[in-house]
Amino acid sequence: MAEKTIYQHLKEEGVSRREFMKFCGLLAGLMGVEFSPPVKALGAVAGPSPEKMVADALKSKPRVPIIWLELQDCAGCTEAISRSWSPSLVKLVLNKIALDYQETLMAAAGFQAEEAKKEAMEKYKGKYVLVVEGSPAIGEDQVFCTIGGRGNIDLLNEAAEGAAAIIATGNCAAFGGIPKANPNPTNARGVWEVITSKPVLNIPGCPAIPEVTTGTIVYFLVMGKLPEMDSLNRPMTFYGHTIHDHCLRRPFYDAGKYADSFDDDGARAGHCLYKLGCKGPTTYNACSSLKWYQGLSFPVQSNHPCLACSQPNFWDGGGFYQGQSAPLNRPDLAAFGIAAGAGAAVGVALAGANSINKKRAEHESKKEK
Amino acid sequence: MAWDELLRFLRGPMFYAALVFFLFGMFFRLFRVVLLGWQRDRVPSKGSKIGGVVITYLKSILILPFIPWVKLTFNKNALTYVAGGVFHLSLFGIIFFGAPHMLVWKSILGFGWPTLPAPYVDWLAAIGIISLVALLINRLVHPVLKKITRTADWFNWTIVFLPFITGYVMSRHLWFEYQAAFSLHMIAVDLLLIWIPLSRISHFMLYFFSRTIHGAQFGKRAVTP
Amino acid sequence: MNAESAVSANVVETGKAKSTRSETAVNALIRETGGWVASQLEACTRCGLCADGCHYYQATGEPSYSPVWKIEILRRAYEQRFTLGGRLRLAVGLEKPITDEDLEHWSKIVFEACTVCNKCSLVCPMGIDLGPIIHRVRGALTAAGVTPKDLHDAVQKQIEIGSPLGLTLDRYQERLEWITDEWEVDIPMNKKGADTLVAFTSIEMMKFPSTIAAIATILNKAGENWTISTKGREMVNFGFFEGSDEHTRLFLSRLFDAAKELGVKRIMVSECGHAYDALRWTAANLVQVPKGLTVTHIIAVMTDYIRSGRIKLKKGAYDNGTITFHDACKIQRRGSHIKEPREILKMLAPNSFKELTPNREQSICCGGGGGVISIKEADPLRFAAFGLKMDQMNKIGAKTVCMVCSNCLLQFNDGLDYYKSDIKARSLSDLVSKAME
Repeated sequence: MAEKTIYQHLKEEGVSRREFMKFCGLLAGLMGVEFSPPVKALGAVAGPSPEKMVADALKSKPRVPIIWLELQDCAGCTEAISRSWSPSLVKLVLNKIALDYQETLMAAAGFQAEEAKKEAMEKYKGKYVLVVEGSPAIGEDQVFCTIGGRGNIDLLNEAAEGAAAIIATGNCAAFGGIPKANPNPTNARGVWEVITSKPVLNIPGCPAIPEVTTGTIVYFLVMGKLPEMDSLNRPMTFYGHTIHDHCLRRPFYDAGKYADSFDDDGARAGHCLYKLGCKGPTTYNACSSLKWYQGLSFPVQSNHPCLACSQPNFWDGGGFYQGQSAPLNRPDLAAFGIAAGAGAAVGVALAGANSINKKRAEHESKKEK
Repeated sequence: MAWDELLRFLRGPMFYAALVFFLFGMFFRLFRVVLLGWQRDRVPSKGSKIGGVVITYLKSILILPFIPWVKLTFNKNALTYVAGGVFHLSLFGIIFFGAPHMLVWKSILGFGWPTLPAPYVDWLAAIGIISLVALLINRLVHPVLKKITRTADWFNWTIVFLPFITGYVMSRHLWFEYQAAFSLHMIAVDLLLIWIPLSRISHFMLYFFSRTIHGAQFGKRAVTP
Repeated sequence: MNAESAVSANVVETGKAKSTRSETAVNALIRETGGWVASQLEACTRCGLCADGCHYYQATGEPSYSPVWKIEILRRAYEQRFTLGGRLRLAVGLEKPITDEDLEHWSKIVFEACTVCNKCSLVCPMGIDLGPIIHRVRGALTAAGVTPKDLHDAVQKQIEIGSPLGLTLDRYQERLEWITDEWEVDIPMNKKGADTLVAFTSIEMMKFPSTIAAIATILNKAGENWTISTKGREMVNFGFFEGSDEHTRLFLSRLFDAAKELGVKRIMVSECGHAYDALRWTAANLVQVPKGLTVTHIIAVMTDYIRSGRIKLKKGAYDNGTITFHDACKIQRRGSHIKEPREILKMLAPNSFKELTPNREQSICCGGGGGVISIKEADPLRFAAFGLKMDQMNKIGAKTVCMVCSNCLLQFNDGLDYYKSDIKARSLSDLVSKAME
């Protein structure tokens, strides 16, 4: 039997054509289709409008299921997605289009849920998208994270084997996140460190911006491949710039106007939060351009410095309120004391040797006379 | 992952290792020099040694680096003096009053202070870079400097220049991605910290010896130093 | 220390085996290197600015005359013996050991192209006291026996005869008698219980007897209870030029012994620069200065007389033609007598006294001090350096230049002659003695 296309699927779910086209427009915008170099390379730019292109794709492509695996996580990314500024959009993508297995959101539980997953994996082998939330825990024979009595690495490997694409959403899945923070008792890793046989697309963030996750999934649905990625396997469209690059407080940074504390005049006037520890200049994410809650705000706009939550090892990258430039991992003061003392000791020793040197020279001088 | 990991290393363990080495080296230099023995000056003073020291510091720190014509034989080499003075002004302005650097001090010392607006710091850096280039050219062409310059002096110049240029590139967001520029800047800084005790850049400490001796010698004789 | 100094007086081995010379020099260089020298050596940033303070470099543009290069040999010795880096460089051949050729080279630049005027230390951004450091380099080269021959011979003469110009005691007394007759002044000799011991220099004795007469006239007029001593008759200290502590001690103690014997309260230095430096600013660190004995300079004494009214000057006595004053390195820059001559000159020539630029402690050295004038080979160099002085004087159109240093005066006479100038060089004491009411 011929598989249902996404459009057919949506129609069955009661989505009108008008709604569908609006949805396609939103998705096209989100995906950055207009600016995406691969699209240009395909020659699609010269053709119909982007939303038409998305619509065509959705009309012609078969529905692809998504299997959403949760490992060591807080379900924060799921939370974020379920409370996205465009609930219709996200619902459309995740509920209506594809989501076959999502422990937090699905109605089924326990063996039923596992059955559903198994079924989907078998049925759509080599076609489904695997989304991972939370970090795999390798330590102690996987005992730190098990589902239905099975170790998380085994589950992950199993799900990855038949996946057409693997997307790691949230910092935990992408780079290990909070579980990986020092001293990392569970030996947590990023998914891409565990699964090396296939490319893993990373959507880091704590949580990941829901629009970025959905946008990327749709990109795969529409284009049939993962978007262009940077060296950290992040989609260029969303991670091509730093928070700092598009920050609305950037003019204050350039003018050297900073808030020195959270309730001084500078903070009230909306000055740059660099001195309060903002990691914007080294953090790649779309917060400052896409923003959260329907473009309402993002942390820096809400008077809080960027924590670099989408960067690797962000939990160990220095204090959240410590300057971006401040050195990390200060050793004990004793280390400085020991260094100074050792320097002094060697200096004293050499000075002693030199004094003997001097005496000898004096002696020699006398002998010569 | 490369730049990020590297940066964390350079900002963290490497920076502190360099700092620890710097401390070790400077204490070493200090003790090596101080403990070589000092002869007591038995000559009765005519003027005040302390007075001479005070005057010489006021003059040499506040006036002379910026007004070369105070010394009337300078006509031939004003460049070295102006560029040298301006370079140090730029250096101190940047490392004490640039916001990112103040934050470094703050994280080490535990307290901070007001800083200069970024554009001023950028200008200071530009001036510092220009004066360094001027000093380099001077070192290449001036007959005395050609005679006395040794390999270490070229190292000195390079190792001082690198933090300036990488810092400027980083703060102006030129050419490199921020983390790469940051990493390069940290490499330069760590290198500088290690190089200082091994080289004549340690004059920042020994200057106080020679300047004090100078002031005391002239003060003793009641001559304006 | 000072006891043995007198014993081992006749040193400077000329027949020293060649191969050990450099070693002797290095030993001598580092023997004296304490924190004082080391801290300053290490503070040097090698900026080369000191060159612009050196009149020899200014006049010739020869880079090896830059003060930093003059102490380079000490820097090398210090690093090769005292620092780990220096030893390492020496061991792997990155740096060459100090050779006999090096000694010859430095002997040339340190003795012939340096007056130890210490202007470079004012120029140095680090404030390194270059003059005294160069003095130590001289000492080490002397220990190694590479002092220029003329200077070495002069020192030998001072050791043996008591005067670097070879003025024997008999000639000395003859000369004094002649001065007494010629200028009709009393010069008390070996007077016990005098307050002030005056010693003159051989230069004054031989070349500027008028200065001696002038000083005697001023002292007599002021009613000073003074004397000269046949035992400590020579003021100059060629050991100080050599940088040899030993010889400096010897010549200093001759004067101090004389002072002790006559029971004077103070020694007054005649118009001589380096002797003032040696006696006033160095002696206490080298020998035991007799208790209660002070050292002063004729310029200070004269000014005291004028201030207290013991002598009176004719106001405006020299108000014909521009008159200027040359600040000597050892008396003004290193001796602080900067205000006194100006006070006197403003009385003698209130309208026509003009300053040279630069002046006072920044003054440019005459180019003949520090023993340079005694070295024949250095003549072209000292005349070249004097060119700077000529420019200074010509700029203000000076007709007369006066000074309180006989060494400078000799250099001025030679130099003005060399440049065929009409400017007259005069001793300030001479001017004062002729302008007394």
